[in-house]
Amino acid sequence: MKIKKLMFVTKFEQLGFDALKSLLALRKAGLDHVVFVNVIERERFAMSRVGYRKDEEIRLRETANIRFIDWAESLFEMGMEAGVYIVVGTLVPEVLKAAEKEAADLIVIGRSHKGVLDQLYSGSDITELLRRSATPVLVYKHMSENILALDKPFSRPLLATDWSPACQKAVDYLITLEGIIEEIHLIHVITEKELADSPSHTSHTIQKARKQTRQKLEEICDIFEQQGITARAHIYVGNAEDEIEKAAREHQASMIVMGSSAKAYWLERWIGSTPREIAEKSAFPCLLIPPEKNAAR
Amino acid sequence: MSKKVLVVDDDPDVRLFSVTVLEENGYLPLEAANGEEGLKMVKAEKPDLIILDVLMPRQSGIRLYREMKTDKALKDIPIIILSGIAKKTFLRSQKAMTEFGGKPVPEPEVYLEKPVEPEELAETIKKVMG
Repeated sequence: MKIKKLMFVTKFEQLGFDALKSLLALRKAGLDHVVFVNVIERERFAMSRVGYRKDEEIRLRETANIRFIDWAESLFEMGMEAGVYIVVGTLVPEVLKAAEKEAADLIVIGRSHKGVLDQLYSGSDITELLRRSATPVLVYKHMSENILALDKPFSRPLLATDWSPACQKAVDYLITLEGIIEEIHLIHVITEKELADSPSHTSHTIQKARKQTRQKLEEICDIFEQQGITARAHIYVGNAEDEIEKAAREHQASMIVMGSSAKAYWLERWIGSTPREIAEKSAFPCLLIPPEKNAAR
Repeated sequence: MSKKVLVVDDDPDVRLFSVTVLEENGYLPLEAANGEEGLKMVKAEKPDLIILDVLMPRQSGIRLYREMKTDKALKDIPIIILSGIAKKTFLRSQKAMTEFGGKPVPEPEVYLEKPVEPEELAETIKKVMG
């Protein structure tokens, strides 16, 4: 489950070459191929009054091509492989199509922090991508000034686990990054609901739940430690989204890693999805690992 | 019998351009859209010349070039690189790949930077084919 081929999806304003360079530490773990993807939305030049503006399509394609040639040259000179997709269409289907053709190991996509409308728009793209992608997705973000390790996104990941199969898959994925991860923080959030659902609310039962959770986290820590990766376990109580964000800040995480939801789309819309919420709202880069294809959806 | 020339480029417009130049000059053009497809066609068709792009999906021309030049059966097929990527970059990338444990490979017969005029391409093909 090595990250050998990375797909870098950009509209240029959110993710630039500096963002890609920060991911090149993955070379130590086997990364040797980057595929650039730029999807030009048809509505940018197919206008109802003036019709289809072929000249505008050509201009946008060539502009993207010039940027990608420049980026690819830098990668080639490092002895890496690079490829390019500049396509006209709708973002998510085109990204998924390219990821399948390329058999990419990781999709990296940006999220604009510009306006409310823009956020709403790109947010929905990310939701759809996370829902449909069989490839892990890294939602890469503009970082706020108080977050460290901007240039080493994989150096201090925070893995939030709910013990799902996708979280187990995330462990398998991260374990290959020995030599890149300096320290990993594992957290589990015990929700208020879980506490309320327990048969009694005595201090003993709560402490017992904490102890069991701790043991399970330590078992995962041991897996990382055996690979030479320093791992620390933490338990938080409260609302999952708030606590994961809090934990990431407290432990100066460089990114948040989660298993993405295996819930059916309608169910996710109804009761919400922690990974999706975090991927769309967190200040941290978020790596979402999808469940196996045969997991319940 | 016409000599076979394989054009490997992901851009259909560039393939059409090269194919037209080849047909007008009496060659038999073959086409592939990426390095992977290109290598399969090279093995199946044994072309007399390859016109190769560098930056392509699936497998780049850099990798295809390296695979061909390190394959005893294919290394003598002449290759014209036709790309937007600078020649200097191509050569540096081959050097870097060699440093990463690959075999050294020779420089391509001809390196043309896109875009080229039809006459220039036709002339270059004639020269390479002898």
